[in-house]
Amino acid sequence: MKTRKSVWLAMFLLVAVLLVFGATRTGGPQTQQDRIDSLTAVLACPTCSGESVFVSRAAAAESIRAEVARQVSAGLRTDEQILSYIEQRFGGEVLLVPRATGVDALVWALPVAALVFSIFLLYSAFTKWRGNKPESPTSQDEQIVARALNTKSDEQ
Amino acid sequence: MFASAGISGTVGRAFLLVGFIGAVFGAFAAFTGARRNDQQIIRLIPRFSTLSFAAAVGAFAAMEYAMITRDFSLAYVQKVGSWSTPALYNFAAVWSALEGSILMWVLVLAGYTAAVSFWVRKRMQDLIASWALGVMFVVSAFFFLVSFFPANPFAAGAPGVLDGPGPNPLLQNHILVMFHPPILYLGYVGVTVPFAFAIAALITGRVGEGWLVATRRWSLFAWGFLTFGIALGSWWSYEVLGWSGVWAWDPVENASLLPWITGTAYIHSVLVQERRGMLRVWNISLLVATFSLTILGTFLTRSGVLNSVHAFSESSIGSWFLALFAVVLVVSIGLIGWRGDKLRSPGVIDSPLSREAAFLANNVLFAVFAFVVLLGTVFPLIIEALQNRQIAVGAPFFDKLSMPIGLALLTLMAIAPVLPWRKASTETLRERLFWPAWCGVVALVASLLLGAYGLAPLLTFTLGGVSAGAALRQVVLATRRQGWRGLVGRANGGMIVHLGVILIAVALGASNSFSKSQELSLVANVEANFSGHTFELKDVVEVRDDRSISVKALVLVDGKKIYAPAITKYTRIGMNVGTPSVRTSLTTDIYLTLEPPVRQDANEARIKVFIKPMIIWLWIGTALMAVGTVLAAFPGRRRKPTDATSAPVEVAAS
Repeated sequence: MKTRKSVWLAMFLLVAVLLVFGATRTGGPQTQQDRIDSLTAVLACPTCSGESVFVSRAAAAESIRAEVARQVSAGLRTDEQILSYIEQRFGGEVLLVPRATGVDALVWALPVAALVFSIFLLYSAFTKWRGNKPESPTSQDEQIVARALNTKSDEQ
Repeated sequence: MFASAGISGTVGRAFLLVGFIGAVFGAFAAFTGARRNDQQIIRLIPRFSTLSFAAAVGAFAAMEYAMITRDFSLAYVQKVGSWSTPALYNFAAVWSALEGSILMWVLVLAGYTAAVSFWVRKRMQDLIASWALGVMFVVSAFFFLVSFFPANPFAAGAPGVLDGPGPNPLLQNHILVMFHPPILYLGYVGVTVPFAFAIAALITGRVGEGWLVATRRWSLFAWGFLTFGIALGSWWSYEVLGWSGVWAWDPVENASLLPWITGTAYIHSVLVQERRGMLRVWNISLLVATFSLTILGTFLTRSGVLNSVHAFSESSIGSWFLALFAVVLVVSIGLIGWRGDKLRSPGVIDSPLSREAAFLANNVLFAVFAFVVLLGTVFPLIIEALQNRQIAVGAPFFDKLSMPIGLALLTLMAIAPVLPWRKASTETLRERLFWPAWCGVVALVASLLLGAYGLAPLLTFTLGGVSAGAALRQVVLATRRQGWRGLVGRANGGMIVHLGVILIAVALGASNSFSKSQELSLVANVEANFSGHTFELKDVVEVRDDRSISVKALVLVDGKKIYAPAITKYTRIGMNVGTPSVRTSLTTDIYLTLEPPVRQDANEARIKVFIKPMIIWLWIGTALMAVGTVLAAFPGRRRKPTDATSAPVEVAAS
């Protein structure tokens, strides 16, 4: 078993090294199209609630997509600048991702709170269960088990 | 009340009324019979369920008849019917808008009620069956009533209409519209059956394991169809919508996902109850949650409070569904409170490192997942109510939060199948996970060699490898011991389902992270290159029929075969619909869409190319899940009652 333990250790090391290597390398530079796609994916289509400009085929989404493409190929603005430009130009709430400020931050905070709360529930359940172990079997119980086991071996 | 013109309108409406009366009498008979334990009354129940079902079939047939004969005296046919719709899509047009989809709900629910009363016909002296049927009758009566009043498909339309626009163009250009809605409904409505039995168990106070075992297959059936229906919807999205994705997190998709999540949690945690008698309140709550989420989801998406591509026009049914939702919650919580003492479980979970603890962790993750999806879906409503401000919560939010949950679930899928019940030692775990872990290492090395990068996808592939190893280990051990029987039963069939889920997870990881796309301005007969493939525009052609004009770009891919992405203008509705064209292979899909504006006489076209790896494995994974679900529905080999509950089914050696 000793050897197996060390094999496990080696395996964990190998996986960690490979993951670090894989996580740090990239798939080449981002193309303009990648930038357009990732920007339009966080912009809400104004006429179809819940869908992004990237997903929607509606005319309103089409024109925002064209504007983003123009901005990206001009290459003068950063991603944030393009997003705020779109917000200014088309007006209203254009982002599909809720902000992490004000009341909107609740949508990010509540899931974490739910996870922490349910882990706490699990933890307290296990502590409770650990507290009330079932009683040890009486001799009567053991007799019942022995009888049952006997009949079982008779069958075989 | 019968203000509906045309013979099919009157007949259809009459059928709905008969169905409603049948359901009310059925509920009355079931509840009275069960309360007085009067077998003479109970024996009447199947007649009422047959009557309701026959009436629902009649109403649905009347609607189909009206649609097929283009009876434009009906408002509904005016809305979605057209002389120019091809027969197949015209048939499916019945469920292409709100009123018709409620009618389909009525049909499926009445069908389930009839099927359950047939299934329990020889066990009617068991009062739990009567109570459960009573619950189903009540829900049926509600839906008959909704279809009779607020969502009446047989209402008379404006006079003098001779033709209509036909269904939404997106619902008349792919054959899947025939299958996706009915199959999804079989799942969505099917969760009513286990819910009804849960309520019946609470009422009778027989909250032990009997009713669970009895309804196990109904739950599995509904869950399987829900899974399959959702997957078909994803396939439809990919083939039709033209953004190359399978899931957009739109509110209606979320409404179908929510009961799937709680249903999945249930079919796992119910194993703990069957085996150890624990988690009774929790399991009943999950069934209540699953059923009420189908009602809440319908309220959210069909009342006009939320809009999405699937949403039909606004209507007044919102308050009906909200009322049903409230009643379901109040009654269920009241019953659980009333039976609280009987629900207390006798056992304890001994160790956090055990099969039952893993199921608990699974349930925590699924509960958090359901919470995230529900929160994201209703959050815009909350903000609007609080601050009178419009915000959107879309795919980026759901993607960001579901990714860690998905990875945690994959981790659990890697460990849980090798865990024994009661208690495991780390040594057992080391032993049993040895080969699965190597599968993970192999998956990681292979994906690195293929050029994968980024922490999240690599973790997905590694954990996918380990969990596939763990699932295969169980299947191999079971088949080695029991032959072909090692493939059937919950645990073994479940492992096949796991393999399907793993394929889907890996395919989603690969296609989300390693897709490439490029817009190409093609000029006729000039080759363009992208990502090692060549694209050459051969021609731009126009195809006309009496409902649409479509412009197709004929693109030669890699000099081999011509693909024809198109944009179709549906002239009656004035809506443009893009139709992508996809080259599928086992490794990569090449997904072409034609981008507007288009001119059919031009010798150039703008094409968007998506190169997406592993898409086909999503559908293979789905098929594997379906096969696994069927295998899980067959009874597997059970332990002898005299065996210790900790005795493993398989020989514990690896």
